[in-house]
Amino acid sequence: MAEKAAIEKIVKEAMSLGRKALVEPEAKAVINLASILVPRHRVVKDMAGAFEAASDIGYPVALKLVSPDMLHKSDIGGVALGIKDSKELEASWSRMVLSAAHEAPAAVIEGFIVEEMAGRGTEVIVGGIRDAQFGPAVMFGLGGVAVELLKDVSFRLAPVSREEALGMISEVKSFPLLTGFRGGKPRDLDAVAETIIKVGRIMDEVSAIKELEINPLVVYERGALAVDARAVLG
Amino acid sequence: MTGGGDISFFFKPESVAVVGASPEPGKISNIILGNLAGAGFGKRLVPVNPGQASVMGLECLPSLEESPEVIDIAVFAIPAGLVPGALKRAEGKVRGAVIVSGGFGEAGERGKLLEKEVLDTARKAGVRVIGPNCLGIYDAVSKVDTFFIPVDRAGRPGRGGLSILSQSGSFAAVAMDELAAEGIGVARIVSYGNAVDVNESDCLEFLASDPETSAVVIYMESVADGRRFVEAASRCSSEKPVMAVKVGKFGAGAAAARSHTGAIAGRYEIYRAAFRKAGVTELDGYEEFQAACKAFGLQGRAGGKRVMIITDGGGMGVGIADACHALGLEAAPLPDELEKELRAVFPPYFSISNPLDLTGSATDESFAMSVQKTMSGGHYDIAIVAALWGPPALTDSLPGMLAQKPGFSEKPIIVCTPGGEYSRSRLRLFREAGLPVFTTPEGAVRAAAVLAGGRRRR
Repeated sequence: MAEKAAIEKIVKEAMSLGRKALVEPEAKAVINLASILVPRHRVVKDMAGAFEAASDIGYPVALKLVSPDMLHKSDIGGVALGIKDSKELEASWSRMVLSAAHEAPAAVIEGFIVEEMAGRGTEVIVGGIRDAQFGPAVMFGLGGVAVELLKDVSFRLAPVSREEALGMISEVKSFPLLTGFRGGKPRDLDAVAETIIKVGRIMDEVSAIKELEINPLVVYERGALAVDARAVLG
Repeated sequence: MTGGGDISFFFKPESVAVVGASPEPGKISNIILGNLAGAGFGKRLVPVNPGQASVMGLECLPSLEESPEVIDIAVFAIPAGLVPGALKRAEGKVRGAVIVSGGFGEAGERGKLLEKEVLDTARKAGVRVIGPNCLGIYDAVSKVDTFFIPVDRAGRPGRGGLSILSQSGSFAAVAMDELAAEGIGVARIVSYGNAVDVNESDCLEFLASDPETSAVVIYMESVADGRRFVEAASRCSSEKPVMAVKVGKFGAGAAAARSHTGAIAGRYEIYRAAFRKAGVTELDGYEEFQAACKAFGLQGRAGGKRVMIITDGGGMGVGIADACHALGLEAAPLPDELEKELRAVFPPYFSISNPLDLTGSATDESFAMSVQKTMSGGHYDIAIVAALWGPPALTDSLPGMLAQKPGFSEKPIIVCTPGGEYSRSRLRLFREAGLPVFTTPEGAVRAAAVLAGGRRRR
């Protein structure tokens, strides 16, 4: 992998700060270095920066809290989607800061992400873990209930071939949701397979990453976009 | 943890010593010596006991140190605490040790330390170790039998192509006993216990190139080195079918996981991914293990997943077709030309389809003819014959007529013969004909699925 050194640099810097996880912008930088596409985004420190970023990116935007102490930021009101103008942006910002102060008063807030709103598509999860006995492995599942409740997922040891990646996608029960179930649009399976292969490659080559997860990867008729990502280090 | 390296001498020894060989019946060392002698191990068999001139008519060595030659396998059935010292004294005199004694890593902290001492001593002494806390080797080819279960408690299978690897000794013994009762032969059975040195990967490397072994079944609780297992199993599965039962499936996953991936990835999911990578067919529990042993012990790998069902009981046939579907096998419809051919020879009241129902008018000949006609040509890969013994024309010649033979059928045939007293007493006839026989449709279909390369399980 060409960008291995650059990825390792991001990981090392986070670890040197004593952190056990990458925050979203770092995790996105990692997967982007492995040429997985992410929405256009900018990390800002203050409201003025947020306004500027939003008008550069173009409304509607998403606003997300960046904190190494909150890996599941949506649980504490750290995500606002579909913000249409500067007024809404200001309101969302205030709500988020208050909510964070209330829900997680000790959390360090490093800043905010202002990000272009990804279009609607089918949400899937692509994950990687490192097993003590068998080493790196990758996981695939469809987003939401299918993974969390039904555990409808597939695993392979990493690295994976294209054939293995396509096998992972087609073997989950909810696979028809990607191929046009009930009049839905058939989704770009190659883009999903490519993402799985790339996550497998990162897991295989960057041993300091213990878990890596793209959730959701939004899959379109053509292409896919990694809307959120996290990584556990160790 | 282990260094690998060739362990084939364990399976073609010129000499076997039993350390601490006791003259007292019922002692473990006495049972092992008796089993080795009884199994017909024809090479040098040496009891080691300083207090006896001979045991069971075999001349004793006072200690391994005094052996005039290097002994290939020394079986240690002595208290755990004495093992390191005995191994040390064996330096230069022994190539491999089978340590059946318990009281090591499985028995707490002190045992763990002792186990480490065993490994260190063995390394220094240049001795390879199977065990401790194991039954060791039952080898129908070399006639080595270190299983300390008396023959009347656990039967010994004859010679065949199946080899079994098991961490668990009790499992290995039960499997061995069942195979013996089913008339299924084996090549090597290895119970490797705590695997301080020789483990499943070493055994797989040996079995990959073992011409006596045609299929391998592993009963596994855990592996020491997962990546090495994947490599060794891949090599072996490229030569012959390798199947595995994984027990301890539901242990806690990564408890501290912070992503969904980490939370869902239990040990078992990763094992399954590893089996898949290694080309190992996963067997789901003991029944499937039995089915796999019967199927591969008596038949070869199927060329595909197309099953022909032949029965004299329509309802049973449909049940088998359902079970096939559930396990990813295809009970494909009869091709036109085959249907015509069968209609030409059978009475109009037979149901000519798949399942093929010979009804209560079935005869031995109609069964045999059905197998021969449907299994010749390229239409089907496996036959499942569900023989219900109601039809008065069926005789005890049926099993023999269904036996695989050149010109009849060389594809796998699996028999299902459910029923009570009369049917059960016919099981033996199918076994004698070398046919894998099951008493339930599900059992027969599981076996077919294993021969076809494993069910598509999710």
